[in-house]
Amino acid sequence: MAKMVEPLGGIIQFGDRVQPEQRRDDDWSRLLVLVGDKRDRRAFEQLFGHYAPLIKGFHYSRNTQALAPEAADELVQEVMFRVWRKAPSFDPHKASANTWVYTIMRNCRIDLMRRGSRHVTDSEVDVDDIWDESADNQPLINLQQRRNESEIAEGIKTLPADQSHVLHKAYMEGKSHSEIAQELGLPLGTVKSRVRLALKKLQTALKRVE
Amino acid sequence: MIRHHPEKEMLLEYAAGTLPWAQSLAVKAHLEMCPACQQQHQQLNGIGGTLLDNSDPQPVAGTAFDQLMQRIDRADQDSSPEQDLPNNDARQPRSNNPSTDPALASLPRVVGKLVAKNGPLKWRRVSPALKMTRLKTGQDKYEVAFHRICRGGRTAEHDHRGQEIIMVLHGAFSDADGFYRPGDFLVRNPGEVHRPIATEDQECLCLSVVEAPVSVTGVLGWLVNPFLGFRPG
Repeated sequence: MAKMVEPLGGIIQFGDRVQPEQRRDDDWSRLLVLVGDKRDRRAFEQLFGHYAPLIKGFHYSRNTQALAPEAADELVQEVMFRVWRKAPSFDPHKASANTWVYTIMRNCRIDLMRRGSRHVTDSEVDVDDIWDESADNQPLINLQQRRNESEIAEGIKTLPADQSHVLHKAYMEGKSHSEIAQELGLPLGTVKSRVRLALKKLQTALKRVE
Repeated sequence: MIRHHPEKEMLLEYAAGTLPWAQSLAVKAHLEMCPACQQQHQQLNGIGGTLLDNSDPQPVAGTAFDQLMQRIDRADQDSSPEQDLPNNDARQPRSNNPSTDPALASLPRVVGKLVAKNGPLKWRRVSPALKMTRLKTGQDKYEVAFHRICRGGRTAEHDHRGQEIIMVLHGAFSDADGFYRPGDFLVRNPGEVHRPIATEDQECLCLSVVEAPVSVTGVLGWLVNPFLGFRPG
């Protein structure tokens, strides 16, 4: 068992000339590769120190009863367990660490929601079949993925409030467009058009760098 | 060339994990056949990754990491980590389908797995030109089925009780609105009447996902109605 290291911050050394944002994700990717290839527990502890609070924070604002604080802690444990298990399949050329962890977290959440649903029957396929993000399933065209993501991050900051609001509700609160429409008292078409506009803006930002 | 794609909003719901299980299965089948949508999907995952990165970190109990490592050690004793790599069985070649049926020879792997797990398919004749078989998928809110139309077959004009997704897997068909080939993804809403006709050269196989009837007067009404208001699977 690796001994507890200092809380994060001092662990990752940033290069001087590299932009911290860019560099940071590279470092998480490198740690993930170490966990995958070498089963490196110290690297995994650093990843845990970084991602566990973010995973919890991601769900903190969710005002759904499905995710009480205890459930958020359970989700953190389950996501990080799967991160350890699946790390050998992580390919840093095809996805960034943030996006890869996000997809694992999303799949965990789907499993968690299914546990509480009356419409679930014995499954012939798993969540990882329907939401299969394994690296061998990704086209090679996405070598620019990481650069794209910093563009997406910038783009999200510049979205009008009503557009970023629907993105937050969809991704972070886990609501479908019709649930968002109901909650905000808007026609479904309005929610959909906000989503479309947001995506158009983000994709214009992506096209500019390509 | 695939010409009919899921709407962007549907791709976003899929990437956010809020699209119902059965519809997600159809979207996944489309992504496997459509590199353009797959690329979009990765960008949509990128939004999720960015939002995760931008989250306000919330403190996690100091013992959480040790607890996790204990669980990992226990699990490692029970099985080797290699056995747990994602989708080992889904990665098997598509030939794991025992059938020699040419229409089922080359399926997207999520559909191939579904077929393999469902066991021998029992086809039911709906009309001289149309056969269908239901597929178990792990939920009962949507009816998921294969429909196959024989060469040049004309199906009866029909309406939909609920929204229907149709994914062409093999062959081609046309209706009054267009011509559809493998990979094409269509959504038909209630009230949109159509009459698919298969092309002359080969039979046509489609995956369909239809919202189950939820009206109290429906045949299944008494079964389905008590569950209204719960999240779909």
